[in-house]
Amino acid sequence: MKTFALITVLLLGGLLFYGTPDFPDWGDPASPASLHVSPYYIEHAVEDTAVPNIVTAVLADYRGYDTMFETAVIFSAGIACLFLLRVYRRKSARTRLYRHNLTGVTLRIAKGGKLPEGSAEFERIDSVWVPYDMIIKVTSRLIVPFVQLFALYVIAHGHHSPGGGFQGGVIFGAAIILYALSNDLRRAFRRLSEKAALLASAAGVLIYVGTGLLCLLLGGNFLDYSMLAEMLHTDAIMARSHGILIVEIGVGLAVMAVMVSLYYNLSSAGRHDEGL
Amino acid sequence: MSAHFPGLVIIIPLVAAFLILIGALLDKRLAFPLTALALLGSLVTAIGLLARVMQVGVVEYHLAGWAPPVGIAYRVDHLNGLVLVAVAAVAFINLLGTRPLVVEAFGDRLGPFYTLYILLVAGLLGIVVTGDAFNLYVLLEIAALTGYALVGMGEGRAPLASLNYIFMGTVGASFYLLGVGYLYLVTGTLNMADLAVRLPALYPSKVVFSAFVICLAGLCLKMGFFPLHAWLPNAYSYAPDPVSSLVAPLMTKVMVYVMVRIMLFVFTPAFAFDLTAISEPMVWMAIVAIVAGSFLALSTRRLKRMLTYIVVAEVGYMVGGFWLGNRLGISGAILHIINDAVMTLCVFLAAAALIARTGSDAIDDMQGLFKKMPVTMAVFVIAGLSIIGVPPTCGFFSKWYLISGAIAAGQYGFMAALLLSSLINLVLFFRIFEIAYFEPFEDHHAEHPTGHGRVLSAVQEAPLELLVPLVVTAALLFALGIYAGDIVSLIIDKAIPLGIV
Repeated sequence: MKTFALITVLLLGGLLFYGTPDFPDWGDPASPASLHVSPYYIEHAVEDTAVPNIVTAVLADYRGYDTMFETAVIFSAGIACLFLLRVYRRKSARTRLYRHNLTGVTLRIAKGGKLPEGSAEFERIDSVWVPYDMIIKVTSRLIVPFVQLFALYVIAHGHHSPGGGFQGGVIFGAAIILYALSNDLRRAFRRLSEKAALLASAAGVLIYVGTGLLCLLLGGNFLDYSMLAEMLHTDAIMARSHGILIVEIGVGLAVMAVMVSLYYNLSSAGRHDEGL
Repeated sequence: MSAHFPGLVIIIPLVAAFLILIGALLDKRLAFPLTALALLGSLVTAIGLLARVMQVGVVEYHLAGWAPPVGIAYRVDHLNGLVLVAVAAVAFINLLGTRPLVVEAFGDRLGPFYTLYILLVAGLLGIVVTGDAFNLYVLLEIAALTGYALVGMGEGRAPLASLNYIFMGTVGASFYLLGVGYLYLVTGTLNMADLAVRLPALYPSKVVFSAFVICLAGLCLKMGFFPLHAWLPNAYSYAPDPVSSLVAPLMTKVMVYVMVRIMLFVFTPAFAFDLTAISEPMVWMAIVAIVAGSFLALSTRRLKRMLTYIVVAEVGYMVGGFWLGNRLGISGAILHIINDAVMTLCVFLAAAALIARTGSDAIDDMQGLFKKMPVTMAVFVIAGLSIIGVPPTCGFFSKWYLISGAIAAGQYGFMAALLLSSLINLVLFFRIFEIAYFEPFEDHHAEHPTGHGRVLSAVQEAPLELLVPLVVTAALLFALGIYAGDIVSLIIDKAIPLGIV
């Protein structure tokens, strides 16, 4: 079997080498890839869409339909993880651990015992030993808002610099995951519940698809942002720029929510009780 | 509105996917009706689109209003118009039929299940409708990713089978992407029609040949063409029943469609059939696939597993028929995409009903089922006859075209393989009919009073909800057979480029 695999790999490698002599040279301005469609993008992106970042113009407008499905791929990944891992039948009364904040004493409360929920003196901790982590908690509490702010900047600034919905969404999601890591899963749920994350992931992609559908209802083709001009009180070209921003926000929301939802399911093996 | 049909056929299920998830968060019972409504919408649009194509010819749709090659275009001709209707119809019928099974197996996660289901269908529809080589890859990702998740939820070794499927599927999709990358390197475009215009000048290029081989290898892997089929039997037989009756009829068939599309309309027949010496080996590999698939099917005593090996053999039919390179063979291959989708749906749905009622998928446990589940078994017989190729069921007609094509091309080996496979299918199905018809029910249960934990007297006819789609599918098998001549002359004939005789 191993020899067979080796032969296959060698054949494939041979095929890849076979093709290389006819490749265009590196950075060759006369290569077909830089003569056919690319010049159009480079020459017309700004006048067509008023977006100085050509990559964003191609990604979210000329080939925006691909990007919509890329967002749907991420959404599918989140739902697939939820579908496979989520455990709905929870054993409610398991032993739980609580720490008395003043003395540092850990209480193990057996099945059916009285739980000190809502008491400020006790803090529920995960059943694997959790050390005091004041430095981590305080540091991440200081960092999280700035990370989130930066994420919003990245989403909003995709028109002018590298960035956009995917990158910004990942950064925003990372901020929430950092919060969940430095505290615990239950606190993260209080900030962004499972349902809210699911809702946001669906809503995010729906913003993208809905924008496209709106263009269709206004008489254009699907995702033809220029149709939004009247609604946004601008001309057709600026409408494309604004349309890109709208869908980038949708992408950001979806990516953020899917990241968080993936973390919730993976870290707690779908039980959403204790994790990491 | 009909101008937007090419877009709407995908957009309706896509929008529905998110609404289903949101709706299910409010009330789980909303998931099914929303899915059914969306797929019905998709089916109606697909039929409307096919009717339009038959009236006015090729329909193009420029997404975001950008004309190709700058933007992405959908291009519907007779070929994908027909496949679209088949995909939408199979997905819709399967959805209606499997509701009771889905509620039983995934009652606590209906929202995610139906979201994944409809995304899978949207992905497959998108693969069929698109006219852009890269867009096809993105949709392939959607269809594959959701497929892995749905397959992985089966019982027993399903997660392992799904993992295997992920590895192989990812390799297949990456090969396709690599091939498209090579083509972009030498042409600078991703639009299929534009590629077909720009490629002929580049036929001598080694890059184009590499792209051709890599693309073809990737697609063969994705469709489960014989030596590359290893992922298929496990993935489809361990998958939950409502899922295997969706992916088994559609996934492989759509990938065969992609092969036909890429070979005929990107590389063009001149390159695929004449300039490369690949037709002959492909037909021989198809012969091996047919024979191997048939014998592997003989070797198993499990119903679903047997059916998956038949799928492997059927892929051989279509690939072989296509690479015969003549009009008859290609017509047979395209007709078989449609017929096999419906046949496979029919057998897998019937198998799902049998397994749900008897609790076992061993062929030996099917004693006396003709008495207990007469309608389901009658449908199973019709589907079996169609797979064997008995007129007037549709299986006969596609096989007829394939065999005529083989004779016209002088490929007698392929003809012999088709006949041999029909004979083996005959044995396979009559073995089951014999057990289910002649062997009495009681004996088996007396021997194993608690053996499978099933109570024989409780075995009864499948629920009406499942029976109606089953009977409709069986009727479709006859209808497709009776109208096979019209389908070929009115639709398929116009789908094949004129240069092919």
